[in-house]
Amino acid sequence: MSLTANKPSGGHGNTEEKVNLKAIPEILKRHAGERGSLIPILEDIQTVYGYLPEEALKLVVSETGRSATDVYGVATFYRAFSLTPRGRHLVCVCLGTACHVRGASAIAEELKLQLGISDGETTADKEFTLETVNCLGACALGPVVVIDGHYFSKVRKSRIRQMLEDARSGCINSSATDSSSMFPVTVNCPVCKGGLMDENFTLDSLPAIQLSISSAGVSGRLRLSSLYGSPECAVEYDVPAGSAVEVSCPHCKAALSGALSCSSCAAPMASLDVQGGAVLHFCSRRGCHNRSLDLTPSSCLPEGGGAK
Amino acid sequence: MTRLTSPQELNELRQVLSAGTDSRTPCIVICSGTACQAGGATRLIPAAQKFIIGNQLIDKIALRSTGCHGFCEMGPFVLTEPQMAFYPQLKPEDMPRIIEALLAGEYVEELLYKEPSTGQPYYHLSEIPFFKSQQRSVMGFNQRIDPVRIHDYIALGGYVSFAGLLARNAPQEVVQQVKASGLRGRGGAGFPTGTKWEMLAAQKSVGGKFLVCNADEGDPGAYMDRSMLEGNPHSIIEGMLICAFGTGANEGIAYVRKEYPLAIQNLTAALRQARHLGLLGKDILGTGFDFDIRIMPGAGAFVCGEETALIRSIEGKMGEPRQRPPFPIQKGIDGKPTVINNVETWANIPLVFRHGAEKFASVGTQGNSGTKIFSLVGKVRNTGLVEVPMGTTIKEIVYTIGGGAPDKFRIKAVQTGGPSGGCIPAEQFDLPVDYDSLRQAGAIMGSGGMIVMDETTCMVDVARYFMGFLKDESCGKCFTCRKGTQRMFELLDDIAGGRGTPQHLTLLEELALVVKDTTMCGLGQTAANPVLSTLRYFRHEYERHINDKRCDAFVCNELTGAACQTACPLGTEVWRYVALIEKGRYEEAYRVIREPNPFPSVCARVCGHKCESRCRLGTTGGDPIAIRALKRFVTDNTDPTVYKPVRTRKAEPQSQKVAVVGAGPAGLTAAHYLSLKGYKVTVFETGSEPGGMLVSCIPSYRLPRDILQKEIAALLDENITLKCNTALGRDFTLDDLFARDFKAVFLATGSDKSWPLGIDGEGRAGVYSSMEFLKAFNLRGEELATGHVGVIGGGNSAVDAARIALRQKGVKSVTLYYRRTDQEMPAYIDEVDAAKEEGVALETLVSPVKIRHVEQARKEGVKVEDAVSPVKIYSKHGHLTGIDLVRNGLGDVDASGRRRPVPVEGSEFHAELDTLIIAIGERPDSETLTAMGLEVNKDGTLHVDRETLTASRTGVFAGGDLVSGPAMVVDAIAHGRKAAAIIDRYLRGADMTMPAEIMQPDVFLEPAAAADAAEDEEPVRVPIPMLDAAARKTGFDEVELVLSAESAQTEAGRCLRCDLPFTRRVECEEDKAL
Repeated sequence: MSLTANKPSGGHGNTEEKVNLKAIPEILKRHAGERGSLIPILEDIQTVYGYLPEEALKLVVSETGRSATDVYGVATFYRAFSLTPRGRHLVCVCLGTACHVRGASAIAEELKLQLGISDGETTADKEFTLETVNCLGACALGPVVVIDGHYFSKVRKSRIRQMLEDARSGCINSSATDSSSMFPVTVNCPVCKGGLMDENFTLDSLPAIQLSISSAGVSGRLRLSSLYGSPECAVEYDVPAGSAVEVSCPHCKAALSGALSCSSCAAPMASLDVQGGAVLHFCSRRGCHNRSLDLTPSSCLPEGGGAK
Repeated sequence: MTRLTSPQELNELRQVLSAGTDSRTPCIVICSGTACQAGGATRLIPAAQKFIIGNQLIDKIALRSTGCHGFCEMGPFVLTEPQMAFYPQLKPEDMPRIIEALLAGEYVEELLYKEPSTGQPYYHLSEIPFFKSQQRSVMGFNQRIDPVRIHDYIALGGYVSFAGLLARNAPQEVVQQVKASGLRGRGGAGFPTGTKWEMLAAQKSVGGKFLVCNADEGDPGAYMDRSMLEGNPHSIIEGMLICAFGTGANEGIAYVRKEYPLAIQNLTAALRQARHLGLLGKDILGTGFDFDIRIMPGAGAFVCGEETALIRSIEGKMGEPRQRPPFPIQKGIDGKPTVINNVETWANIPLVFRHGAEKFASVGTQGNSGTKIFSLVGKVRNTGLVEVPMGTTIKEIVYTIGGGAPDKFRIKAVQTGGPSGGCIPAEQFDLPVDYDSLRQAGAIMGSGGMIVMDETTCMVDVARYFMGFLKDESCGKCFTCRKGTQRMFELLDDIAGGRGTPQHLTLLEELALVVKDTTMCGLGQTAANPVLSTLRYFRHEYERHINDKRCDAFVCNELTGAACQTACPLGTEVWRYVALIEKGRYEEAYRVIREPNPFPSVCARVCGHKCESRCRLGTTGGDPIAIRALKRFVTDNTDPTVYKPVRTRKAEPQSQKVAVVGAGPAGLTAAHYLSLKGYKVTVFETGSEPGGMLVSCIPSYRLPRDILQKEIAALLDENITLKCNTALGRDFTLDDLFARDFKAVFLATGSDKSWPLGIDGEGRAGVYSSMEFLKAFNLRGEELATGHVGVIGGGNSAVDAARIALRQKGVKSVTLYYRRTDQEMPAYIDEVDAAKEEGVALETLVSPVKIRHVEQARKEGVKVEDAVSPVKIYSKHGHLTGIDLVRNGLGDVDASGRRRPVPVEGSEFHAELDTLIIAIGERPDSETLTAMGLEVNKDGTLHVDRETLTASRTGVFAGGDLVSGPAMVVDAIAHGRKAAAIIDRYLRGADMTMPAEIMQPDVFLEPAAAADAAEDEEPVRVPIPMLDAAARKTGFDEVELVLSAESAQTEAGRCLRCDLPFTRRVECEEDKAL
């Protein structure tokens, strides 16, 4: 996407410490035999490393049998790929037409001035990478700047300094899990209707939700914060990140997961009854924080019915 | 989820689901499209959940989180069912009130969406103008569906048409119906979808056939595909399933932009659910039909919108297009037949089968059936996605649905079709939007981006922007595209940067045609469109950049410099004196103000401050710097003698003589600068004192007379002779002046003849023109107003007259009658507000009855902002007793981009009046000039050459309102200064045309120290202190007061310092030189 991406990654890449290539074989395996798999492979590498390390590309060349020219060609053709490492915070300015007519180029100029870098570059302290995008499809909000995934709408020059400071101090992400939008719930087992609140174990200063979990033959207790919206949880034994667990009721031992699958990672969701009538679904995969509160469980009756 | 094993089971499921849905159940619908999420919808949902659970309301109320509804400007918003009340721009703490009101069958009035012009709330979604004129056949489902619940879609009849086709085993119906529907591809080119499918069905292929959903929405400014994928992914899946069944395709690919994570997430979930239910994969619904869809995330390349490039990208290669034929329909992915359709096309397919092809074809126009979704963005009030029948006019979309311009700036064009499209000027907004009409007008439909542009959009910059985009996105395969777009960009960049010449335009046009003719794919073939269409309709903007080195939209950086400076007719270095005020260096600030302007104290009070209306703080959503108040602060606190005018030549007894006619701001300014250049000047003035409009029209509570007199006295010197009570035409002629050895004459007699209403009864006692009324009072102290006073008009003189009347002794009430809303009054807004505070009643949307030829004056080219036409005037014994008026509604949009006031029948009413002041506009009194053989324009202004201000007789120059019609004081001063320079050149025998100059800041001033970082709140514009309303309406003391030093410095500290990028550069260059 950037001008720098079109240059060989020579200078910049070499100063980096050696890149850990452990994730690459897994990625290659995942896409083995797929048509046109090169682009998805590069996308996954970029997701893991934040850019396409030269060593990783060499590995892709040797493993896929595609020529180095081919891989380099694709890696530099598409805007999504970068051959240089990116900073801790990604600042992305939308330069779509709607944003442009609302003054986005002046915003981009101001960001360049304040960060002291050009489009596609990373600050010397590796804090910020500045990128531009042709349209984010959030035209009503223009001019739009996205910092670390957070959309800033109708951005004005006078707000930029504060936005960058917030990003640097990490304030942007904490506002996403704003405590004012969290609230406590009390849950029961949907099968035996037994209470699942553990008065003796507190998370977020509230009684936690207790459940039995098992994976790969090992069983234990999982405790979730009863504060809906909080990611807090405690597990008695080490579940490898990324693997899904079986969730069951500690009283009646009924399996609680499997009725729904997670909308972000497709792992089974576990479902619990919330006092008041709702259903709380949470993803059973370690590391996925997808939780949802279903207030209209009756409308998905056949779905629930299928699980019974 | 149980797998369905027959079409019949799907129908049964649908029945169960539909029966379980009660449309009367109260439901809170929260839009969670990307725009609303960014706006805070993610915080509304838990707030609603918390309240519902905490109050045991689960059985009583439902909550649904949906995809985009389209009204993105108003996000985050909530819709309530079954009320259909629309609550825009909510905060989490608003949720409990809304839920309680919904359960009680009531509304939270103050949170409802309101009509912007009247503040009236709308109780039902369908009454809101934004939704009312739309036909949301495709988008309408979004608000009824939670995109990650397949059952929501099935409950509404989703997949039922597809199941019906399977049950009937009628693949042949598919192509037949789609052809009959007349559906054309929504991706841009408008190829008939049915024909394309028919070709695919006819292809014999061993290795299978492919369907592609093109969701690589690359046109910047278009986002309907994203919203459909996010909001109703199942409609796209169903569309592809129907096609696959009808054409024998067995594999589908959704090529989705990686920048659309939510779309990918929702589509992934939808595909998984469809597979679980047995709607995708092997043996679909137990019928033996196989089809599946896979997502391929696009890696970002605009050229992949071209179908052969898209195919290569799917194959994992660089997205370079190739030569056609063979077409993808013959040889596509892996050499297999492939159909590529855009997201919106796929989303339309289920509709064709749900309601039948005939019903589908009945919407829209001949050859352009169905509806189309547009993303209405840019300079428009209601940004969002709108869906209208094909053939709807641009006017309807931009004004009725879009609500017109968001600011006071006029809308001048829309751009459709993205970088391959073109601009359509406001004069052509009656154009129906369909594939064919747009192409004829030089634009294209494209995927439906409609970007509204106003006076703050520069068309040269737009062309440059698109060309910059295209040069970056050109894949480089064709030489003429690769180099041609690059070169066109350079030419446009030259023009935008003030380096353009007339040859640039010739070359640009030539190059545009070459690129169009010699490139292989759509990107190159249409690359010239943005240039050709802007040149076709906005050539004057290019010429202004090239010839005058001006960008009137204040966009092109090099030509704009600091906008406050370029906006000022005098080129005052506003940024400079504001920065000096911030540093407390007031005397220097005064010198900066005074240098180009001999009337600093006058302008500090009555200037129309174009600088403020172009201030970057204001144009980017904040409040502009209070520049005029800052100028007032400096002029009030500085001894004017700190500035010494520079005399370039000394006047000698043998110096040439110049006559100035009219001692208003233009005439006096010309006299002053001519004197500095060593000429002997005589100023002739009809009135008994100098000042022109400043003294005759502007009330003393806005401009105290002692201030004005001091400023004028300072300008008159030994080279200037002032002759009052001497009128051109009455006491002397032009011939007399030349005979008395005046070498040049500058005419600046102003524009002070009021336009009449043009109806019977205007001659009655008690009816006055605003000029007559103002002069009587300002010059002679006569109080003409008595009893109940009516003023007709909305300009500054109407407001001045109303406020002066209010201060007169026999007056009981004053009412200002204006035919549009107060939002649209041409008078300065603070003056209108001040008048209201003082007690002037304001009746807007009212105009005199029996209206006739309102357009007459405008047609003559008069700068009459709002002409008000015939009224019935009642009188008794020759004296006014009252008038009849009629109330106006807002009608169609007129040439100024504002909605025309239309009399509402039966709304006539009578007003008893003792005094009526007509203030609908002024024109110059130029009969004398015509008699002296000078050429006069139709609107009464004197005809001059705009460049050199020369009138039709050699040696005669003119300026001010006489030439421009009623304008601002600062415009008159600028004319006076320019005239002095030109007359000097004329008398020295030099070329009178002054070369265009680029105006850029060139003095470096340190930026202010960074404000306290802890301060989260953005500083707001300083309020301008005023006399108490009750105290001021009885007297003529100056109403506006001066800022304190502290608030002046704070206000100056808010300046964005647009000068710095220029002056830093100057600094750097100087450093290098050292």
